[in-house]
Amino acid sequence: MESEIRMAATAPNMNARQARRRHLWRHYSQNALTYLILGVAVVILGLPFFWMATTALKPIQEVVIYPPHWLPSELRWENFVEAWHAAPFDRFYINSVVTGVASTVLQVLFALFMAYAFVFIRFPAKNALFLLVLATMMIPVEMKLVPNYLLLKELRWINTYWALIIPPAAHAFPVFVLHQQFRTLPRDLMDAATVDGATHTQILLRVVAPMSRPLLAAVALVSFVGRWNDYLWPLIVTNKVAMRTLPIGLAYLKETQEGGNRWNLLMAGTIFVIAPILVLFVFTQKQFVEGITRGAVKG
Amino acid sequence: MSQLRTLGRSWRRNRRDWLTFLAFVAPNFLIFAVFTYWPILYSFYLSFTRWNFLTPNMKFVGLRNYTRLLQDEYFWEVLGNTFTYTFSVVLIAQGLAFLLALLLNRRVRGQPFFRTVSFTPHITTTAAAALVWVLILDPNLGPLSHIYNALGVQGVRWLASSTLALWAIIIVGIWKEIGFSSVFFLAGLQNINKDLYEAAQVDGASAWHLFRHITVPMMTPVMFFLMVSGLIQAMKAFDVVAVMTEGGPVYPSSATYVYHLYQLAFRNFRAGYASAFAMFFFVAIIVITLFQLRVSEKWVQYGE
Repeated sequence: MESEIRMAATAPNMNARQARRRHLWRHYSQNALTYLILGVAVVILGLPFFWMATTALKPIQEVVIYPPHWLPSELRWENFVEAWHAAPFDRFYINSVVTGVASTVLQVLFALFMAYAFVFIRFPAKNALFLLVLATMMIPVEMKLVPNYLLLKELRWINTYWALIIPPAAHAFPVFVLHQQFRTLPRDLMDAATVDGATHTQILLRVVAPMSRPLLAAVALVSFVGRWNDYLWPLIVTNKVAMRTLPIGLAYLKETQEGGNRWNLLMAGTIFVIAPILVLFVFTQKQFVEGITRGAVKG
Repeated sequence: MSQLRTLGRSWRRNRRDWLTFLAFVAPNFLIFAVFTYWPILYSFYLSFTRWNFLTPNMKFVGLRNYTRLLQDEYFWEVLGNTFTYTFSVVLIAQGLAFLLALLLNRRVRGQPFFRTVSFTPHITTTAAAALVWVLILDPNLGPLSHIYNALGVQGVRWLASSTLALWAIIIVGIWKEIGFSSVFFLAGLQNINKDLYEAAQVDGASAWHLFRHITVPMMTPVMFFLMVSGLIQAMKAFDVVAVMTEGGPVYPSSATYVYHLYQLAFRNFRAGYASAFAMFFFVAIIVITLFQLRVSEKWVQYGE
């Protein structure tokens, strides 16, 4: 009798302990699996960067050796100097920086004024006009290549900064993102400013723009990276080596080194192209992700 | 008439506002007009001509470019390649990204680190990434040779095979998008109201049930957004082809639609035919977008 009672009392206890142990075991094994898969993902995503960096520092004998070594036996920084001189990278840099910054500034500025106008200024058929702006996002650059090339030739803009700066300076994406943001700004603020006799230009520059500074920074970042990475447009509108931007300059370096297996120089060149973007990204990650995700959020 | 009169009256009343509006939108509209709206019309016109960019007069050929398009083997092949590329990249990248996001959502450590790592491929210049991948996939010089060695198999010569070259490009496409998409998926997962899960758990729902009936429906807007942007992005693949394969090893085994368009226009100087090629692409993008919008009404569930 007594023992039966004791058994009845301890049995659930035993089960609970077992269950907890099983639960913990499942918890740990699931966690281990999670970290394992995520670790593999990180390795795959990061491998190209690792291989690029180590190859850029290898002496040529270690580049062509089979099987390849994971790490260079000595760090050969001279590869960067050699790569820099193997193609006119100084020109590529100037071209990329000047045209990238200029078209980004214009893109954000034009978008700022346009988005403000669409949100705060009365005008007939505004919605139809806005659709006309958004429609440009659906039209791929690719299908405008032939007519744009002819037009730029007519304007004598081929191989000029104008061609690299002006046509990309109008973009619907920043207009869309700023438009979304401006619609959420308190109306009273505008009304108060209008009563004070401020013009739209004043309200835009003194009230709306300062309030939206973080978003403007985010939009500018996304625009700049887009310009920096662009390949097709500069390929069409320039044909002199001295007018090329970095991504095409890299392809040029590849052509000049073809057959030589000078992968250490090519990887050094690759680092020239992506280093500024990666540095920018690391320091401005928050605004950056904000800028990209903003366009994604349904309004 | 009366409409015109009202318009005239409100013009006098609102002249200042209207002029400001016009001034504010002028820079963008001017550029759009010259470099977007006009080129589309001109492209449409060019697609009915035969022209080599040089001779002073274009020859009007009616629909000949379009009928030739349908008989062009290259057209069908690059269309097929683009189709394979686009759907493989979008479906595989999104599938894997969703899986990664589910894992990350298990309150693991190092989420910020993972976010940085996964965004990096996305912002990396495609031309640069493509060049690195040429080396990664090299059977002798790349890190994969260690795997081939360990397995005791012959190294795979991705870029020298007319079937695998396209897949090499697809791999780079997936590599670029997977982390980016997973960050979006993770944000979506973290936005799901936890009460939903708790309520269902009280009712004794299984983990699979929770996933199927709460997670998936709540995630459809994110999935939809990533699908639309991913498809349209992938359809335009150009840089990666130009750097990795140039459409080879036997043209056009790995050429995408836009790459072939570029070849037609700027290598073969067939302005008219290339324009017909471009018009087809334009129509395809519009049809896909409209189709996706229609479909989304059916299966995307928006809501808080």
